[in-house]
Amino acid sequence: MPVVLTVDPRSGVPIYLQVIDQIKRSVALGVLAAGEQLPTVKQLALDLTINPNTVAKAYRELERDGVIETAPGRGSFVRSNGSIETTKTAATDVARDAIEAAIREAKSIGLLADEIRSLTSAAIEKWFREGA
Amino acid sequence: MSTISIKNLRKTYGPYMAVDDLSFEIPEACVFGLLGPNGAGKTTTFKCMLGLARPTSGTVLYGGLPLVPATQQHIAYVPERSVLYDWMTVAEHVEMQRRAYAKFSVPKANELLRQFGIDQRKKTRALSKGMRTATMVALAIAREADILIFDEPTSGLDPINQRHVLNLIINESARGATVIFSSHQIGQVERAAERIAVVDRGRLALEGSVDDLKSDRKIVEAILPSETFALNGLAGDPRITRIDRNGRIVRALTSHDAQDVLARFEALGASGLRIVDLNLEDIFLCAVSPADATADVVEGR
Repeated sequence: MPVVLTVDPRSGVPIYLQVIDQIKRSVALGVLAAGEQLPTVKQLALDLTINPNTVAKAYRELERDGVIETAPGRGSFVRSNGSIETTKTAATDVARDAIEAAIREAKSIGLLADEIRSLTSAAIEKWFREGA
Repeated sequence: MSTISIKNLRKTYGPYMAVDDLSFEIPEACVFGLLGPNGAGKTTTFKCMLGLARPTSGTVLYGGLPLVPATQQHIAYVPERSVLYDWMTVAEHVEMQRRAYAKFSVPKANELLRQFGIDQRKKTRALSKGMRTATMVALAIAREADILIFDEPTSGLDPINQRHVLNLIINESARGATVIFSSHQIGQVERAAERIAVVDRGRLALEGSVDDLKSDRKIVEAILPSETFALNGLAGDPRITRIDRNGRIVRALTSHDAQDVLARFEALGASGLRIVDLNLEDIFLCAVSPADATADVVEGR
């Protein structure tokens, strides 16, 4: 796998969630291509110096989310069936988390739903102005 | 080898209660971190597990059975203080271990000692504190034991060798061994351990999976409408372990469902609501410190 994952074990975010997030991001960006093999659980645990069961848990959730698939005895791979769908799913998951965090923050500092909506529309206008 | 169960373990030395009614389980093939301040009872717990100290009451069971010599053969222990013989060389220690333990792998010991850069011709008195720790870790791992108990296995080591020891622990776990280790370096436990127990003054302060503890333990912060605002019923909420108030700012330490606690504050008319993640050090400090630690933890970020 060409992607070098990094985890911050001292963060309050559980390590398995960090691994899931980074693999989804890599798939969404196409850095991890459909059909590409992931490191074994043991190898990734040793590369990142994290618990092997933590890696196994991340792989299980990624498999359940349809991002990767595991062939017994052969290892884990980025899903190749309907790879466009997989990429889209991974990208949507990453984006949803970011948007929800931003809206939670906006709400917590006292903005109303309509005010947040107009901020969101303005941001979409800004980033999609040219073409697309 | 299956689960290790510690049940109502108590150990007193004269009037001193070193371990007080400790109960927890260590699943098979788990890397388990034992945390606690100095003198909390970690080493005494290890000694009771190993049969090196006799519990005053309570039991330690391996797969439901008390420790017998046959089980002891499958447990490798690295104590906090060096138990190497000063006048013997490292190579002589390797030979001694080979004779004592049927499964001891000399090639593995040689390889591990080489990785740590230890010259086997040296007498152990000539080794630094860290290299003595590394020698004991190497000899323990070469035993290919089912259970490894490491008391401060990285003490005195430089950061590179500390990382190497953690990777050895991970490797042992990947081959199915159970590893129980203590460390004052919480960051190491956070990386390598799947589950932890925190002991404080001999008692169990906290136990669980590192991921679950991080997912569940949060601080919900809110700004109240006034300094005298009554927190109706929140103090009795089972999800809240502690509430600290400072003027209009209130911080609640939750043990689970932080989102629901946040919703309760919102329903009371609080604003500025946010959920603060806690890392293992924060969680550790909340578990072992007196009541005002939560505020310090958040202030310190």
